[in-house]
Amino acid sequence: MTMTQTGKRAVHPAARMFARECRDGRLSRREFLTRATALGVAAPTAYGLIGLAAPAARADTPQMGGEVRMQMDIKAQRDPRTWDWSELANVCRGWLEYLVHYERDGSVVPVLLESWEASDDATVFTLRVRQGVTWNNGDAFTAEHVAHNIERWADASVEGNSMAGRMGAISQDGKIRDGAIEIVDDHTLRLHLSSPDIAIIVNMADYPAAVVHPSFTGDDPVANPIGTGPYRPVRHETGIGAVIERNPDHTWWNEGNGAWLDRIEFVDLGTDPSAWIAAAEGGEIELTYQTTGDYVDIFEAIGMPASEVITAATLAVRFNQSQPPYDNVNVRRALQMAVDNETVLELGYDDRGDVAENHHVCPIHPEYAEMEPPEFDPARAAEMIAEEGLADHEFELISIDDAWQAATCDNVAAQIRAAGISIRRTILPGATFWNDWLNYPFSSTEWNMRPLGVQVLNLAYRSGVAWNEAGYANPEFDALLDEANSIADADARREVMLKLQQMMRRDGVLIQPYWRALYRNMRPNIGGAEMHPTFEVRYQHYWKS
Amino acid sequence: MLLFLLRRVGVMLVTALCLTFVVFFLTNLPAKLETLAKTQAGARISDAEVASWLDRNGYNQPMLVRYGEWLGVVPGWTREEADGTIRGRCIERMGPEGAGARCGLLQGYWGHSTRFRAPVGEVISTRLGATGWLMLWVLIVMVPMALIVGIVAGMREGSRTDRSLSTFAIASTATPEYVSGVLFIALLASSTVGLSPLLVSWGVIPGPVLFQGNARSALDQITFWNFTLPVITIALYGMGYVARITRASMTEVMTQQYIRTARLKGVSFPNIVLRHALRNALIAPFTVIMLQIPWLLNGVVIVEVLFSYPGFGWTLYEAAVNNDIELLLAASVVAVIVVLLTQLISDIGYVYLNPRIRVS
Amino acid sequence: MEELGWLAIIGRIAQQLLPVWVAMVIVFALSIRFKRRLGLYGKLFDSNVGMVGFAIVIFWIFTAIFADMIITHDPLAQLRGMRNAVPGSPLASPGDHYPYYLLGGDSLARDVFSRAVMGAREVLTIAPFAAMISFMIGISLGLPAGYFGGRLDTSLTFLANLVLAFPVILLFFLLVAPEIQETAIPVVMAGILFLVPVLFVSVLLNARFFTQPMKRNLYVGAALLVGLWAYSGLAFNADPLGVWGMRANLLNVFVAVVFVNAPTVFRIVRGITMDIRTRDYVAAAQTRGEGPWYIMMWEILPNARGPLIVDFCLRIGYTTILLGTLGFFGLGVSPESPDWGSTINDGRRLLTVYPHPALVPALSLMSLVLGLNLLADGLREESLKD
Repeated sequence: MTMTQTGKRAVHPAARMFARECRDGRLSRREFLTRATALGVAAPTAYGLIGLAAPAARADTPQMGGEVRMQMDIKAQRDPRTWDWSELANVCRGWLEYLVHYERDGSVVPVLLESWEASDDATVFTLRVRQGVTWNNGDAFTAEHVAHNIERWADASVEGNSMAGRMGAISQDGKIRDGAIEIVDDHTLRLHLSSPDIAIIVNMADYPAAVVHPSFTGDDPVANPIGTGPYRPVRHETGIGAVIERNPDHTWWNEGNGAWLDRIEFVDLGTDPSAWIAAAEGGEIELTYQTTGDYVDIFEAIGMPASEVITAATLAVRFNQSQPPYDNVNVRRALQMAVDNETVLELGYDDRGDVAENHHVCPIHPEYAEMEPPEFDPARAAEMIAEEGLADHEFELISIDDAWQAATCDNVAAQIRAAGISIRRTILPGATFWNDWLNYPFSSTEWNMRPLGVQVLNLAYRSGVAWNEAGYANPEFDALLDEANSIADADARREVMLKLQQMMRRDGVLIQPYWRALYRNMRPNIGGAEMHPTFEVRYQHYWKS
Repeated sequence: MLLFLLRRVGVMLVTALCLTFVVFFLTNLPAKLETLAKTQAGARISDAEVASWLDRNGYNQPMLVRYGEWLGVVPGWTREEADGTIRGRCIERMGPEGAGARCGLLQGYWGHSTRFRAPVGEVISTRLGATGWLMLWVLIVMVPMALIVGIVAGMREGSRTDRSLSTFAIASTATPEYVSGVLFIALLASSTVGLSPLLVSWGVIPGPVLFQGNARSALDQITFWNFTLPVITIALYGMGYVARITRASMTEVMTQQYIRTARLKGVSFPNIVLRHALRNALIAPFTVIMLQIPWLLNGVVIVEVLFSYPGFGWTLYEAAVNNDIELLLAASVVAVIVVLLTQLISDIGYVYLNPRIRVS
Repeated sequence: MEELGWLAIIGRIAQQLLPVWVAMVIVFALSIRFKRRLGLYGKLFDSNVGMVGFAIVIFWIFTAIFADMIITHDPLAQLRGMRNAVPGSPLASPGDHYPYYLLGGDSLARDVFSRAVMGAREVLTIAPFAAMISFMIGISLGLPAGYFGGRLDTSLTFLANLVLAFPVILLFFLLVAPEIQETAIPVVMAGILFLVPVLFVSVLLNARFFTQPMKRNLYVGAALLVGLWAYSGLAFNADPLGVWGMRANLLNVFVAVVFVNAPTVFRIVRGITMDIRTRDYVAAAQTRGEGPWYIMMWEILPNARGPLIVDFCLRIGYTTILLGTLGFFGLGVSPESPDWGSTINDGRRLLTVYPHPALVPALSLMSLVLGLNLLADGLREESLKD
């Protein structure tokens, strides 16, 4: 897939600046790729800017034909924009495609778009729609359809439409702002943002942003599978499995660059990894969706090597500051101080990741500012708790019943207990946990990676935003965050970021022990199925030899 | 006899009615409905969105009204959307003329599963079929094994055979399915430990494992290799109890006068056991086996979840975990019917086997 | 330091269990010495099966009692470097800890041996207590149902059958859910269920001593005082002195287990009562003019004790298994708890690689249930010889 950049100015000025930083070693290659491609620079061009050739997509030649069986949860389908699990999207990826993709190396590449470019102030985005794409019912794919999808995403009146929050810069009163989308011609449209947002294109790579046909009524994308992709569903049973096969009646726009497999079968084996192992041993599955902890080694031992990807996904063990006793910053600081993040990583997550620093900005984020490791002093922690008159208080740490999350919280609790502070654990089943996840006084929440550091801070720590589970409300922080959002220059932004990170830590917002590495295990004859940082399963690019 | 049956059926209906109401009540608590909304419309939706989802899907009426809807004695809800389309419980099933109509159990409509997005009747019947096969094989394995162990142990009370078989029976009841199932998988279905690596190195088996530790493929085709482990896991735990009842019943029969007489007459020992003792000794085990069937349901849930075999127990588990109200209701109706039906059969069978008792 | 061999491990475990051995020897020596004077309990020592069962059961009882002295580590402490450590592993940096993980470490680097020992305490506080409450409820309702018969019998039997028609697992899923804990349901159920034992003891004493008002007032008053004190703490967590108390989720589990067990006991008691009601000594008591509660509590109940004791032993075993089932589905029991059911469930997933974290509690659970079953068998045999 080589993309040629069209338009009057091939490279965004900020991208050139990023490239300079990257060459100077002030910006990692991965960070550079994320940022440059988010501004509309095609991946090969971006590689070119830093003097490298784009890596060949695959070293191995794919083979046509064959069938693959993969373990993955099959959940009841619903309107793509309300998807809350990557699995829901993954089933449909064979026919519902995306405008852009977020790649393993951190770049954003066009798919149903041919290219895009941002104005200098990142308020006007011009999207060029790929020519020659047809829907599998024969209709041609046009800019009109893209506009229709963006309008759907911006509609906040639909319960659970998580795209609406990401389209904030082009919407108003819970729907698309008049004049925000300008259709220039059949294959070009322009987005007019009310404020600069370089993340808007990156957001279109998120799994709920699947592009649907205008005839889609918002119910079940499997029952009426009109899409642009090369596959179609054959069978879909919630909790049991799904079968997808190549669509013989449709010519895919990207023919010859994928759709190798004849058939892919997803097998839902529940949440217990030991059942997956039993199934893999019996030859019922050939690759897993995601493997965690000790199971990575077990799968390797039975002949299924792991594919690893380093991410900014994490577990936020946060305090809710609106609930006593966590409204007291000293209590939060003391509990943070009682926990050694390195130990949590070792015992709670099997050392599969990198130690984090309690401020939810990852070293792989472009704007990360380096900081000294957080203070670890259990004796002082117990003293502080006693000073606040809570020596006899029993704290409670809540988590979901997922294995690695529970283990991590168990270890956090064990360390707090070892410091001489009384604490008990509560584990809630998945279905119940989310009922109240924003309001638990002290609990853990899984956060998936976002390509930019400010994205999570905007989403979870700005005063009053919907997902602010920490109840963090600090006007100074908000102001600095606004400032960070408006700075395109990395070094300038990093200075602000350092203040933000320090503030997060000073205010004791959360215990954030580690950044997760993610794994998938598969038989050696499966190709193109490497683990993806945001859990994408693009089976149109898998093959089997 | 007819009156007796009628009364039993009546009791069955009243029981089912009470039970479904209890289930309905417990699954329709506000917190449970919130869980349902979040599993249906998105895990991280806000409280306002939860309220609007519940309202739009007819969950905002009084509980009794909705129970009536489910039973089919109250007309299903209807609602006009902002864009003028009319939605409703019965409209989804019968089309536009469903507005104002009743659609519930009495009309033969079991409801709609929110977990599986399919009619409950359909889900339950296919899953019951799968469990039927499992239970059939469990009974085929369990009953003869239990009877043989019990009879052999009970033939000569206090002998060494009796002691060792009784201990075996007790040990099997002391090993719950969640322990034995896991042990079987480790011993027989793992390519790294247990028996399989040994057999592979001897070249006895072609694949990496002897048995399959996962019964999903049994859904398409039941084979010896994928069905053995779940079947013996359930059978072993159920077997001990039946064997002990059989033994007790057998020892009692063996001390009866007529057996002693037959012995004194010089009838050979195998003949005494097969001809004279067996029929009388089997009355008690028969009733116990029947009563054991609903009790095995527990094991069925554990084993189906453990071996990911989508049968009735698995469905029950999924419905309970996801608070799938109508599916859970249907599952409890089925469970009640199974319990009461097996009780009825055991009563009737008891009468037929034991001529001294008459149904009055 | 070197890893310990199996002999050394067994030796050290036996050494840790010293208080248990001493206590067992004392109990056995005394029991065998005085077995003729100890009634049914003494007869147990005539049966090999019964003795083996009894030995296993008291082994676990004493282990639970002396757990604090036996454990080598805090069952919740996680030590670095001990994740999934094999049995006999030395600690990386012992400090003032016991220098070995005798039966290895689990997936969270906790000591498997200490957890199994503490697990015995968890299991042996919940299971017998739940079985006892179930029995008191079953007896209090079963006696009048069997004795009076009629409408009372019909309605109670219907209720019992109603509960029994529920698949146990479904009931657990419905009752032991976090959402239910937030409602008043478990507290109300506990309020009703726990009141029965208090009433039971009061009625029992009242029926015996109502002819001697002084004594009656003293006994019944004392029973009510202690009973209601415990009741306020256990059911409503409102004990003014804070001695009795139960966590919400434990109460929830407890109520569910009692609710499942009581109807079965009710049926057994009812059946026995209907049988004994026709005996001569009951008729004799009736002609003496004794009240119905006296006859039920002091004539029928003592004569029904044989099968009831046997069933009690079996039921403790069954309750242990049920608690494990709850652990298997991740319901109810508090996380990190060393109880055997949840430990088995945590460990079973990694059984093929690290067998010890699951095998130790699994064997413990099996041996306890086996012991209870053997004990029940021994008791049954000996009580039949009466």
